[in-house]
Amino acid sequence: MPQAIALDDAERIVAPTETPAPRRESANVPPDIHLVTTSAKAPPTRSSVWGPRLLRTLERASLFIAILIAWFVAAEKLPLGDNPLIPSPVLTFRALVESLPELWRGTISSFFILIPGFGAASVAGIVWGLIVGTSPRLQRIFFPFSRVAAPIPPTVYIPYAIAILPTFRLSAIFVVFIGAFWPVFHNTAAGAVALEQRYRDNASILGLTGAEYLWRVVFPASLPHIFSGMGVGLAFSFVMLTVAEMFGANHGLGRFVQFYADYAEYPKMVAGILYTGLITWLSMTLLDLARHRALFWLR
Amino acid sequence: MSGLVLENLDFSYDSTLILDNISLDIPSGQFVTLLGSSGCGKSTLLRLIAGLQSPTTGQIRWNGNAVKGTSLERGIVFQDYALFPWMSVVDNIAIAINKARPHISKATRREEAAAALREVGLESAIGKYPLELSGGMRQRAAIARALALGSPLLLMDEPFGALDPVNRARLQDLLLDVWEASAPRKTFVFVTHDIDEALYLSERVVILGSSPGRVIADLTVGFPRHRERKTLFNSEAFHALRESVAETIAADTLRQLSHHSEKAA
Repeated sequence: MPQAIALDDAERIVAPTETPAPRRESANVPPDIHLVTTSAKAPPTRSSVWGPRLLRTLERASLFIAILIAWFVAAEKLPLGDNPLIPSPVLTFRALVESLPELWRGTISSFFILIPGFGAASVAGIVWGLIVGTSPRLQRIFFPFSRVAAPIPPTVYIPYAIAILPTFRLSAIFVVFIGAFWPVFHNTAAGAVALEQRYRDNASILGLTGAEYLWRVVFPASLPHIFSGMGVGLAFSFVMLTVAEMFGANHGLGRFVQFYADYAEYPKMVAGILYTGLITWLSMTLLDLARHRALFWLR
Repeated sequence: MSGLVLENLDFSYDSTLILDNISLDIPSGQFVTLLGSSGCGKSTLLRLIAGLQSPTTGQIRWNGNAVKGTSLERGIVFQDYALFPWMSVVDNIAIAINKARPHISKATRREEAAAALREVGLESAIGKYPLELSGGMRQRAAIARALALGSPLLLMDEPFGALDPVNRARLQDLLLDVWEASAPRKTFVFVTHDIDEALYLSERVVILGSSPGRVIADLTVGFPRHRERKTLFNSEAFHALRESVAETIAADTLRQLSHHSEKAA
């Protein structure tokens, strides 16, 4: 077996690549063998990094800049006159700065709806998704119902929720919950159903069952799915939140936009739209960061 | 009686016979390999012994008790996926210890896990995640976990199949060390398709034929313990045994081929 002999020699020569195990593995490198070490690559020079990086930043900003220019041209240079429906960027920016305290109060008010609604939907969606996703019987019972119930646009519940629940905040929390629950639930259940056989085998070998199995195996393994569901759920939450606020709130982001539209103060209305966009983007970015941190173990 | 007994095992999947009437008697403390070509059902046989699947007919008994479902008595090391990637190496082992000995404290559990990692030469990787380890280190961790479980019967499904030859040889030696050092001596059932690996590691080689999987030879490997790889691989006796094993497998493959062509004609 010449192959095996060569292998045995190789083993002794390259032994230090891994932490040597006790006993049998001796890591004797003969003194006449020089181990070749690869030299570190020279660090790239500054200019060679800056060129493409600057270009890439410009590419990312290009559409924003183009839209801003188009907006400016439409509002100031085209013969649309002083159409109040297209307030100029300068006017809008001024309105934004002026409204910041009011917008901030609105944000706080909105988040008192968004956080409980989305939070409860996430917890309920994940827990119920994990339970249903690991039980074929519950799938047979629950999936026919969810297939009918989930596609109902959650906005249609708003009038009923407002009528049936004692306060506006509670009704808004309820509809945000409905909007975010289904995507979180569906994705979590899909993740649990798709749990790889190797993790099932492993859990079975270790005797992990019940809540411990769900929490330590199915939940982490489903996290990629769960985060997708939470992303969709969060976007839905903002939709439900602002729509509900346009229906019947006294504060909040949706209320801000609706209020100034009613009074034809379009610079403030547009400022409210931009600000809401910013808050939504920030929230999604935060969720993305959480996903990145939680999924460190994925390649 | 102590040890592993397989009695007339049949296993079918989608009405295809995968394993045909397998009977084996493996006394406790033995290091036995199940050798066969890919797809002969040897991994399935190991899954049956582990309790991950149930035989269609026949019985498996471990120390006199019928095997039903998985048990910590029967540990298993898979080819390339023994660890949970979201837990650190030490947590992967600690969770096993927690199942095997639930009464011990968290601190003791971590100490035991660290000791198991030391035993396989992996103390440097304690806080690392499986993703950060090489294939060889991951398999070391998997062996450490199996050891930490304390199972008297250890099943291994081509555990070194995905490793490069150098690491493969080193882990084979590690496995022999672990087996020889275990007291009371653990029973090892090792699945492989590599003849050299089977002969180097075990005291007994059970050769499985394909379609359906069944025992075609059961031979004792009489080489002395504390085997030295180079000497063994150069010895006449090793060559002769290797030849006869290879011939047995080749004969089964030929038989199968002629069987298939007969069917076709």
